[in-house]
Amino acid sequence: MTHPTHPRSRRTFLADLGMGFTGLALGSILQRDARADPTTPSTPDGSPHFTPKANRVIWIFMNGGISHLESFDPKPALNQYAGMTISQTPFAHTQNPQKLAIERLIVPDANGNQRNKLFPLQVGFKKHGQSGLEISDWFPHIARHADRLAIVRSMWTTDSNHMAQTQFHSGRNALDGEFPTLGAWVDYGLGSLNQNLPQFVSIGHREYWNKRDGHYLGPIHDAVPLRIDPANPLDFGKPASPLPPDPQSLGLALTQKLNALRGVEYPNDPTLSARIASYELAARMQLSVPEVLDFSQESPQTKSLYGMDLPHSREFGTQLLAARRLAERGVRFIQIQHGGGGAGAWDAHAALKSNHSKLALAVDQPVAGLLQDLAQRGLLEDTLVVFATEFGRTPGSQGTDGRDHHIYGFSVWMAGGGLKAGIAHGATDEIGFHAVDSPHYVTDLHATILHQLGLDSRKLEVPGRKRLEIDHGKVITQIIA
Amino acid sequence: MVSPSSSAAATLFLLLFFVPTFSAPAADYQRDIKPLLRSRCFSCHGALKQKADLRLDTVDLIKKGGESGPALLPGQPAKSLLIERVTEKDPDDRMPPRHEGEPLSPTQIQLLQDWIAAGSPAPENELPEPHPRSHWAFLPPSRPPIPPTENPLWVRNPIDAFIAKNHQAHSLAPQPDAPPLILLRRLFFDLIGLPPSNEEINAFLSNPHPHAYAQTAERLLHDPRHGERWARHYMDIWRYSDWWGLDDQLRNSQKYLWHWRDWIVESLNANTPYDQLIREMLAADELYPTDRSKLRATGYLARNFFLFNRNQWLEETVEHLSKGFLGLTINCAKCHDHKYDPITHSDFYKLRAFFEPYQVRTDTIPAPDGFAKEGIPRAFDASLTTPTYRFFRGEESKPDRSKAIAPGVPEILSFKDLDIHPISLPPEAWQTDRSVWMLDSQIQSAQSKIPPAELLLSQAKEKIAQSPPPDPPSTLLAAELKFATLHLKKTQADLLSISTRAAATQLSWASPAPPPDTTNSANSLAANAERSAHLATAESRLAELELQSLQAPPNQRPKLEKDLQAARASLEKLTKSLALPPPKFTPLLSSSSLRSPTRFLDSTKDDPSTPFPSQSSGRRSALADWITDPRNPLTARVAVNHLWTRHFGTPLVPNLFDFGRKNPPPIQLDLLNWLASELIDSGYDLRHLHRLIVNSSTYRLSSANPLPSTDPENLYWSRRTPIRIESQAIRDSLLALSNSLDLTFGGPPIPPSKQDQSLRRSLYFFHSNNQQNLFLSAFDNPTVKECYRREQSIVPQQALALTNSRLTQDAASKIALQFPNPDDSAFITHSFRLLLGFTPNPAELASALSTLNAWNHLPNSTPQSSRSRLVHALINHNDFVTLR
Repeated sequence: MTHPTHPRSRRTFLADLGMGFTGLALGSILQRDARADPTTPSTPDGSPHFTPKANRVIWIFMNGGISHLESFDPKPALNQYAGMTISQTPFAHTQNPQKLAIERLIVPDANGNQRNKLFPLQVGFKKHGQSGLEISDWFPHIARHADRLAIVRSMWTTDSNHMAQTQFHSGRNALDGEFPTLGAWVDYGLGSLNQNLPQFVSIGHREYWNKRDGHYLGPIHDAVPLRIDPANPLDFGKPASPLPPDPQSLGLALTQKLNALRGVEYPNDPTLSARIASYELAARMQLSVPEVLDFSQESPQTKSLYGMDLPHSREFGTQLLAARRLAERGVRFIQIQHGGGGAGAWDAHAALKSNHSKLALAVDQPVAGLLQDLAQRGLLEDTLVVFATEFGRTPGSQGTDGRDHHIYGFSVWMAGGGLKAGIAHGATDEIGFHAVDSPHYVTDLHATILHQLGLDSRKLEVPGRKRLEIDHGKVITQIIA
Repeated sequence: MVSPSSSAAATLFLLLFFVPTFSAPAADYQRDIKPLLRSRCFSCHGALKQKADLRLDTVDLIKKGGESGPALLPGQPAKSLLIERVTEKDPDDRMPPRHEGEPLSPTQIQLLQDWIAAGSPAPENELPEPHPRSHWAFLPPSRPPIPPTENPLWVRNPIDAFIAKNHQAHSLAPQPDAPPLILLRRLFFDLIGLPPSNEEINAFLSNPHPHAYAQTAERLLHDPRHGERWARHYMDIWRYSDWWGLDDQLRNSQKYLWHWRDWIVESLNANTPYDQLIREMLAADELYPTDRSKLRATGYLARNFFLFNRNQWLEETVEHLSKGFLGLTINCAKCHDHKYDPITHSDFYKLRAFFEPYQVRTDTIPAPDGFAKEGIPRAFDASLTTPTYRFFRGEESKPDRSKAIAPGVPEILSFKDLDIHPISLPPEAWQTDRSVWMLDSQIQSAQSKIPPAELLLSQAKEKIAQSPPPDPPSTLLAAELKFATLHLKKTQADLLSISTRAAATQLSWASPAPPPDTTNSANSLAANAERSAHLATAESRLAELELQSLQAPPNQRPKLEKDLQAARASLEKLTKSLALPPPKFTPLLSSSSLRSPTRFLDSTKDDPSTPFPSQSSGRRSALADWITDPRNPLTARVAVNHLWTRHFGTPLVPNLFDFGRKNPPPIQLDLLNWLASELIDSGYDLRHLHRLIVNSSTYRLSSANPLPSTDPENLYWSRRTPIRIESQAIRDSLLALSNSLDLTFGGPPIPPSKQDQSLRRSLYFFHSNNQQNLFLSAFDNPTVKECYRREQSIVPQQALALTNSRLTQDAASKIALQFPNPDDSAFITHSFRLLLGFTPNPAELASALSTLNAWNHLPNSTPQSSRSRLVHALINHNDFVTLR
């Protein structure tokens, strides 16, 4: 965004330039300058509003809707009443139309029909760790970290189509339009910890939902997409035709110098300094991003910790190892999509057992590896790992062997970042239908994450962009250590 | 930028002088109370509405109170109704009540109590909120007098007179005109979206004619590329999008929507008046029901197609009609009365009712070879009886069925009775199976099958001629010959059947009806031909199966035997029927228009379709009439603000889609009104407005600003504010400067997979919610859902795209090649002028020369490669993507 800044004298401008060309110092100042809007008194200056417990977020998102019933919220009653319609069971009350009315549909086709015939659990559960948290047998590696997890079993949302993916990130139903996502708010609210990398990156596909995280906060707060391909990690990240480094650096230096010289004639044009800064950051990103994705210094043990030596978990393991390396280097918000594209891989309308067991195999070890790796490096303390999905799946069957989308109750978990470890908070009813104990709308998760980062979403509000009470959410204090 | 030392000083200053006081400050009416009441209470108790006859917008009015008596008793908060109501526990009695707003916070209530306790002190002569009708944007547009000016040397036309008035009022001296080269670059980018070529630069700079600038402007305004450039602006506002969905399923917009894009370009080039553009986009199907060229305009409505949800579809239609044409946020009234503007909850649904009947269909168009390959997506009224209901709190599941809402407009904008009456459509518009070209294309299709059949027969004959004895030929060859002979007979019989039935079908549409003899004879010909074709088909089918059974492996024989029996039976039946007169012929009916199927019903199948009605509701043409009526206070003001914004990068009214009461009068309200009057009085002549604007002195101001200005934000237009050039113009300019731009006009969008190689203008790229070009995305490409104004960001991704893309690398080599002069200084100067629009100063020239030398001395360098690198460095210069 270009912003008018205070008029500056020619002398000031030239003095700035002297600094800017030799070091990163000016670059970092200009970077702040370019992203800050001096016309808005409340524009964040990059400092947290209060002492943070976490400094970064690794946000792992399962696209398509992972079944809470077969992952982190066991419901033995489903086995007991399997095959019966809900109205024949003692849980007929779950069908109370008033309770179902939170749904705000855009696309009716996939979901209009109630899935009333209860479908038995497709996998067993065991208790794990000292906490005794129950986790399904499809996630044995994550289960070994049960004592690190804070599971929230009482999430709810309102869009039972996959635009709930957007809703989970922005907090708003697609019927309301599009809004900044959590990562953009964090990007907006906090400064970077690293002047060589973007502070908000996105890994993996997300064709289905919008790619513009910043919305009214501006494109500067969009996530920068990274591909886990050391040869081509960044859009336009290297020259289409390779140039020897000398000509390239000379060219960049010339561009920068000429931009600076233009400031003699236009000393009060803030876009010149913003442009110079953007080239400095781009140049640093070009060098630093491939370095982040160069895993040659990682030990074979580390790689196998992430399941990179196994074909089924190699891809996601690689993405999570990249996430750790980004986190280490101070990237604030690392958003990783699993199974993105189309409706999302976890969308098991049929054959849930084969779908989920296969996908669990792809993510279980990498996620567990990430937790262990962060912990052993001392990073888990101030890194918040989030494992989430847009909604759960119906207690009733769809077809003979699938489950449909389910918005009334589902699970997410977090770890690290100053949260309690080894607890399950909130609960759904006996068949996993409604969140009944401490229900949380998706923005409660946002509020909790922002709180751990030391941010108050109300203080981030942009004039003229009134946010609703529900947009801010409520901090889930019960899971904060 | 605040330096660290000055901010430290500021902190110190704060510490010294702003020592916190420990006595609670008294609530101040102007500072604390009035803003609180304004934001939380005025929407129901102010100028907009006076619920319970109560207004709270002055202290006197608060004291006076409403139906329940005085709202406050000075000094007695506990006895004041105001406090009683804001602290009420029952959320339906509390103020603001449930669904109207959150309760006041304890701090806010305390402030109110403190202020009342202090005797509710008030300012003197407090004025109530003005009546909404007096809001600047709701007043009828009137032409303000052109102000006299004390700066006649600077003022070129009335625009400047209005601007100069503010210069004088704020003691600002306008910057001089920008240098000629910058002016030329401005004109080119602004009017055609491309930079001037080297030849154009030289011609302009050497043209001594005093009107050279105006002449150039005029030429560019008539250049066909002008329509392409400005079409892209309107495509932002009108939300152009190619189709998108999930995988192959079309969910949003329409295929072939590019016909609407081409209509926009063509209409702008033809200088179609703005009011006419609106009429055609909203109601061409009612106003020009058989004019396919104009029907393309209703792509504006076809774009809103949404497969699954009618409510969402119509909400977007109403929201963006209001924002785009009227500058009103009517969408705020979807759930409740508008909080700031005189728009009721029902008004939202009144506007929706204009669109309730409409649906989308595709009128197929004959391709050059006669077949329907594609079509024009267009609006039509599908159901004239569907009622519109108000949704309680905007929820689709809660319609108020007690009352159907009729189409209408907000009362404050109701300057005339709407003339809504159903429009009878000519038969071609709704009896779409009565299409002569569809008949023709079927005949052509039947004709096209004959040559391949002839070829098959000649091949079969050839095979026999060349086959060695025995004579007669083998069974297989004989069977091939028999099939080929009968197959040709069948295609000939089909052609006769189709053409006689086409003739008879067409005769049946004739009005007045032809004499019975003529009809009977045509019908009889058609009936006989149709039966003969059936017979020929059966014979051909039998021969085909006989041939197959000779070729088939043994395990397939039993199935073929079954098919053979069926074919023989069918042939026998047909042969027997020859004794009887033929049945009536089957008319050739094939609709030339296909309704876009919706899936609003939860059936996993397309919703059932209904025939196209013979009438249209007339609602949308009435709406277009109202929007384009010169008495409409908003339409012209909104239109000229959009025009101004695209020319100057900065709007006159800051919020392009909201002219409501939340927005104070713009600084240049007189100018806005004058331009709006000029638009209306010129017959909505857009070119006239462009001409006025680009010829003004205001447009020509330099953007240089050497001294710190007393107007840092340039509110009074004493200089130009530079514009970061739009995504499409950046890419197009790279192609144009390298002489590679393919200026082919219109047609289907370039698919994403072919964009990297494409040399077409960027507006022809496939552009949807899901698919956007990567290079363009780096430069704030518009979102298709809403883009009333482009962002002008500066982000590192732009540096990467300009540094590393194939596009910029290729362009750099090609541009460098165009200048054969061996003198490097001349080359540098030339490149600066061409790419950046200015001549380098000595320092710039020296820098460029020294880098060029450094490159030349690197191993493997050639003078040409060094020059390419120099051009590449200039492409990365801030001013390459900046309109100074």
